[in-house]
Amino acid sequence: MRIAWLELRRRPSRFVTATAILALLATLLMLLGGLLDGLLSGSTSAVAAQRGDLLVFSSTAEKSFVRSRITPTQRTTVAQVPGVAEVGGIGVAQLAARVPGNGPRDLADVALFGYELAPKAVPPPPGPGEAYADSSLERKGVRDGVTIEVGPARTPIRIVGTVRDLSYSDQGTLWASADTWRTTINANLPEAGVGPGVFQALVVRVDPGADPTSVAARIDRGTAGATESLTVRAAVNAIPGVSQQRATFNQIIGVTVVIAVVVVALFFALLTVERTVLYGVLKALGATSGTLFGGVVLQGVVVTAIASAVGAGIALLLDVVIPPGSIPYTLLPGRVLTSALFLLVAAVFGCVFSLRRVLRIDPASAIGGGQ
Amino acid sequence: MTTASKDGRWPAGPALEMEGVRKVYEMGDEEVVALDHVTLRVGAEEIVALLGPSGSGKTTLCSIAGGLLTPTAGSVVVGGQDITGYSAKRLATFRQETVGFVFQSVNLVPFLTARENLLVVDQLGRRTGRMARDRADQLLDELGLADRRDNLPSQLSGGQRQRAAIGRALMNEPQLVLFDEPTSALDTELGEQVMELIRSEMTSRGTAAVVVTHDERIVHYTDRTVHIVDGVLHA
Amino acid sequence: MFLALKEMRRSLVRFGLLMASIGLLVFLILFQQTLQSGLITSFVGAIRNQSAPVLVYSVDGRRNLQGSIITPDLQQKIVSVPGVGSAGEIGQGTFSVAAGGRLTSAAIIGYQNAELGSPTTLVRGRLPAADGEVVALASSAGDGFGLGDTVVVQPGGRKLRVVGQATEIGYQASPTLFSTYPTFEQAVRAANPDARTAPPAVIAVSPAPGVTDAELVARINDTVPGADAVTRADAVSSTPGVAQVQQSFRIIFLLFGLVVPLVTGLFFLIVTLQKASSLTLLRALGAPSSALVRSLLFQVALVLVVGIGVGIGLYAPLASQTLGSIPLSFQTGAVVLWSVVLFVLGLASAFVAVRRVLHIDPIEATTGAGLGR
Repeated sequence: MRIAWLELRRRPSRFVTATAILALLATLLMLLGGLLDGLLSGSTSAVAAQRGDLLVFSSTAEKSFVRSRITPTQRTTVAQVPGVAEVGGIGVAQLAARVPGNGPRDLADVALFGYELAPKAVPPPPGPGEAYADSSLERKGVRDGVTIEVGPARTPIRIVGTVRDLSYSDQGTLWASADTWRTTINANLPEAGVGPGVFQALVVRVDPGADPTSVAARIDRGTAGATESLTVRAAVNAIPGVSQQRATFNQIIGVTVVIAVVVVALFFALLTVERTVLYGVLKALGATSGTLFGGVVLQGVVVTAIASAVGAGIALLLDVVIPPGSIPYTLLPGRVLTSALFLLVAAVFGCVFSLRRVLRIDPASAIGGGQ
Repeated sequence: MTTASKDGRWPAGPALEMEGVRKVYEMGDEEVVALDHVTLRVGAEEIVALLGPSGSGKTTLCSIAGGLLTPTAGSVVVGGQDITGYSAKRLATFRQETVGFVFQSVNLVPFLTARENLLVVDQLGRRTGRMARDRADQLLDELGLADRRDNLPSQLSGGQRQRAAIGRALMNEPQLVLFDEPTSALDTELGEQVMELIRSEMTSRGTAAVVVTHDERIVHYTDRTVHIVDGVLHA
Repeated sequence: MFLALKEMRRSLVRFGLLMASIGLLVFLILFQQTLQSGLITSFVGAIRNQSAPVLVYSVDGRRNLQGSIITPDLQQKIVSVPGVGSAGEIGQGTFSVAAGGRLTSAAIIGYQNAELGSPTTLVRGRLPAADGEVVALASSAGDGFGLGDTVVVQPGGRKLRVVGQATEIGYQASPTLFSTYPTFEQAVRAANPDARTAPPAVIAVSPAPGVTDAELVARINDTVPGADAVTRADAVSSTPGVAQVQQSFRIIFLLFGLVVPLVTGLFFLIVTLQKASSLTLLRALGAPSSALVRSLLFQVALVLVVGIGVGIGLYAPLASQTLGSIPLSFQTGAVVLWSVVLFVLGLASAFVAVRRVLHIDPIEATTGAGLGR
């Protein structure tokens, strides 16, 4: 093993090729992951950020906010279900906003949320006619202090603060009080109108120690099946496009890992050819195939670790350089780690291809000139 | 005679006993007999020259003696150990502990220093750490390479490389050291220097050696010469 | 060529691994191309494969069927623009629908005029002739939207019967149904009894004789401030989300495309360096440089052809599958384009190896200087 380590240090040029290509593959893996996470975040971050355990929709809504209605009576019922600690209403309206200073066709897509229980990193609901805006809307001029006109009815809403990383269906979000939201939706989307006290869904916090899934079942029983309660995570996965995007990208990532296995196998096979003579001598001196192969695996792991670090560096650089909102791209630490891990496993598997050749090297070849 | 060897480590039986050793290769339908009923005995402190032209089988004999090849027939006993039926794995351990090799050309690992080259065998096997490092330094000193121990093989002269290889062969205090054409890459003067070194190192430690060569000039450095032609030994 | 093939036969594992790498990369690129196209089609196929050449949204709609509402007033202004040949309403809504024994989401698109908004990719059955009949997305047949099936809009219980199937008419990655406009209105009211109206999302128009689509679009946008007219193609590409997916994939394609020549070029460079002594020997024996170069390029070309072939071979069976709800198709154009591009790039990548071959000096066979780098 020590010999393998010394070879890495003293003959780094031998390993440059494999490292470079693996670094490219590492970058690709992390890039793919970052694009997937970006797309997902754009679709779902507003829902994922809800500080609650459950979301309650009406049972015919198929988990869609727009088609769901929860009446005040149903809300009271839900609040009284054992295990429920707190209930807050929530609803969304997807509209186009006119921003002062922008052209008449240059509208900003916004998803206006009316809420009671504040999600992560969002202050409590603001006053009437006011809203917090997601930072991704700043590109369109929607920022603190500006009054925008929302929807065909041009409902005025004044921006009083900024929030970050909260999107819904690729649209930047506005966060307003329930009343503001109701007024806006009734004025602009009459066929989606809501009566007083009505919400599209409820955010539910369960008592500490209670099992959210059982509470969800209890809620649906309590409302005689009129509601469909699910965990926030399940609600996120039900947002249109999410499961398709995930499946698509995961397939691509999977094939990329397989490619990494083959590429490592290829370049380490080439390396092994170069070292036939050396391995012959070492075997003559008493090295077992196991020792030599362990050295190969060690080198594979080190090379992959370096390649992963380089790949991560490039992926991070891209994260900094890409302006927010242009391409959906979010580099999560978990993604960097799993990508590096996949690559490492791929490298170990790739090294196995060299095992046969290492096994076949005859120690007797060391005698007789080492040709 | 059962006296102990000079370093007291091994019983003083013969270092090498080969009886009726045959090595046959199958090439397609034909059989090639590389060694034909070879019987050879090398004493505990003897230096034997194995002289023969290329293709005579001397390399094959050397390989079998060193546990690099298994014979088709016959028995091989090295330092009292019968290695005839050893598996590849046991042979590897045997080579780590009991034999030393000095190859003709590729001896040293090109990216390791002289000192590290000597430590290779220890790292592959017993891992005695400190003990091995001390022994390596001592050997390098005796071989006149003390000031070259942190040099890579590319930074050493031909003679210095040969000396480092001898040092490595002696690291595990072997019963038997096998030299494969030790002077073929050197000029006459250097070749004689190396043979003198081999002789003095082997005799001072009481280690047996077999020197495989085609060069008649060096046989006077050995105790006994054995000729081999077409796989058959002649005294 | 003889030597080239012999060498490859001898080192089958190495060359095999290279061809496998190239094959997998080509497969991945083609697969991604198809996935991207399938993903986009599942979101906007309905818009691409309907019969209206020009679609007019409300400006507030942001070119999204879901967000666009055409008031009667706006509609009047649009149809009055000179150059409008014929016009028809198109409405869209997403509903909870009971199909195949389960409750699921489905998009319903209702059109007033069969020439302006009906599906153009009918494969089985016929277009709706009466209210309550629908054409369904072919790939959703297994989910209860097959020919002859009846699905029920919930709440309200409005029944719809599938009388035809069309491919690639998906909207928002959901099962999609095309119906008459009144059917759409009925679905809206059934689902939401409080709904007073079911306004269209889009006015589909076709130009009068002598007017091109582009001209009509310009005229409508200039004349009616609240209208956002687009050609069908532009409607597809500017639907929110499509451009982003395309951009993301473009980067990925670029990088994967680079890996192929990189791996190929480096492989042949290393192999050439490893056999420098044999090459020097051949030159010393009288082989001209051109022969060695030809031999090398032959190997490169063979490896690329086999690799690309393997990639296409892996891709073909997969390309006719359905990934979840995304239908895939074999994209001949992409296959041809990428095959050519990667072949050329791969060949070019061998340039460094070729240079090394040309640098061999036969005299080194005697001095041994060229041996072993």
